[in-house]
Amino acid sequence: MDLKINGANHQVDVPDDMPLLWVIRDVLGMTGTKFGCGIAQCGACTVHVDGIAIRSCQLPVGTVGGRAITTIEGIGDTSAGAKIQKAWIELEVIQCGYCQPGQIMSAAALLAANPQPDDDAIDAAMAGNLCRCGTYVRIREGIKHAARA
Amino acid sequence: MRIRRVLVLIAGAIVVAVAAIVGWMVFQPGPYAFAKGSPVDLAAYKGRPPTGVPPELAHADAATRGEYLIRMADCEACHTAKGGSRFAGGRPFVLPFGTIYTPNLTPDPDTGIGKWSDAQFLNAVHKGIAPDGSHYYPAFPYASYTMLTDADVLAIKAYLFSLKPVHQANRPNTFGFPVNQRWLMAIWARLFNPDHRFRPVEGQSEAWNRGAYLVEAAGHCGECHTPRNLLQALDQRRKFAGGVAEGWNAYNISTDRNDGIGDWPPDDLAVYLAAGHAKGRGVASGPMGEAVALSLAHLTKSDIAAIVTYLRSVPAMASGLPKAAGPAPATPKLANIDNPVGKRLFEGNCVGCHAWTGAGAAADHARLTGLRSVNDPSAANVVQIILNGRGKPGTPKPYMPSFARSYSDAEIAAVANYITARFGSTPSKVTPADVAAFRKEN
Ligand code: FES
Ligand code: FES
Repeated sequence: MDLKINGANHQVDVPDDMPLLWVIRDVLGMTGTKFGCGIAQCGACTVHVDGIAIRSCQLPVGTVGGRAITTIEGIGDTSAGAKIQKAWIELEVIQCGYCQPGQIMSAAALLAANPQPDDDAIDAAMAGNLCRCGTYVRIREGIKHAARA
Repeated sequence: MRIRRVLVLIAGAIVVAVAAIVGWMVFQPGPYAFAKGSPVDLAAYKGRPPTGVPPELAHADAATRGEYLIRMADCEACHTAKGGSRFAGGRPFVLPFGTIYTPNLTPDPDTGIGKWSDAQFLNAVHKGIAPDGSHYYPAFPYASYTMLTDADVLAIKAYLFSLKPVHQANRPNTFGFPVNQRWLMAIWARLFNPDHRFRPVEGQSEAWNRGAYLVEAAGHCGECHTPRNLLQALDQRRKFAGGVAEGWNAYNISTDRNDGIGDWPPDDLAVYLAAGHAKGRGVASGPMGEAVALSLAHLTKSDIAAIVTYLRSVPAMASGLPKAAGPAPATPKLANIDNPVGKRLFEGNCVGCHAWTGAGAAADHARLTGLRSVNDPSAANVVQIILNGRGKPGTPKPYMPSFARSYSDAEIAAVANYITARFGSTPSKVTPADVAAFRKEN
């Protein structure tokens, strides 16, 4: 099957029902996207499908079709993604970092859809992304910082 | 003198009224009496026999045919406990009057059916009578299975006898008086078990007759989808208007266009039955999820088509369900929903897959809008799926985690009410006590 990831075409020979996360990490070796819970509860595996943030651990690869997948490896090439990454570095948002690829993907999807998100919008978009290190306050700041940029 | 006469008259009127009510419950139309044409004995039926295995399996060996038949009758779902050996029984069913456990169907001579003769097995399946002469409770759907042919029942027995015996004693039920009086069940059987084999209907198509055999005799769909009367018998006058199964609502599957499946295109129905999901129709979960996984998904194309043909012939029967709401907005904040706890839970746990629009973030499996469960003011199935989840992670089938251990009754009530308010047409009023009661059903 053909997948469009970060603008490049990939041919993979996998069963239809394999979670997209496994294909990205184990088959294609792009390990930036993280495995956290495997049951759509932590957000570590967030990627974009046609710009929408989704949990790749619960998305059967066969349902993606020709839609464009963006992962943490490619998000810096989008304008919202670049702003978020810059803000993340400037504010030193990251603690251990494990959840951060997912946080950045959710934040970038939010910023692309809503360039000036208020606290409610941030809650609504980010509540599904857990951070064991408790960087939530800095994540909120980071998103606002990026919005100002 | 006067008073006595009046009293006698009143007593007489009460007796007549009770007799009329009981009679009304007892003298019911048969499960497919709605169909035009004349029912005939199987032997006299001129079309292709509607019983046995479908044409695709005409040349299959006996083992394959036996397995197919046991799938048709879906014995496994009830006769297997969670995490237990297949067909070894022990699955609890929590009823208003106590808990009943299914018996062991493996050929173990001491605890299973290893010593049963063919006649004893037929007697059990057709008449609900155990080898020791005691009567089964109608939780065992023998009033449906009674329509199965001897040949099909014995093929099922042969399949069971080919299984590895599992030594697992049956658990006694916990029924209290008067339901614990098994002899009462003999009366029940007299009243409600027609005890005759399937009679095809001349004048209906072969597919329809096959569908009737699959739905009424083997699949026993009505056992959950038809409401029951006071005597716990199926109310055939309200056929397929919806019932209850283990605390889940088994929705109306009559051809009513709003309440039932009357507006489902035949292809949607076929895909839903065979795969447990059709676009925009939600995912079969709970007991129906089991029926799909263990039974329907294994049926051939021609059999699924026959079921669809039959279902679409069942008369429409309204059950007073609201019309489904349309699409939901993408904005998280909705002024008309004052339910901060529900919203917090929804945004933390649900949005990732279901999306604020309820259309599903990336897969139609996760759609909430338009579903019967979300547009059911009781929210029973919404609570059930939050408690039980569905499927296993890392499998091809749609998966949802169970939240039973993560959240309190109050939190689950709040998020269920949030979901019906946001995506349904009638906000539910589930209370923490309701959630506690649902927990006990599983
Ligand atoms: S790994 Fe996908 S949400 Fe946790
Ligand atoms: S930075 Fe450690 S888990 Fe979020």
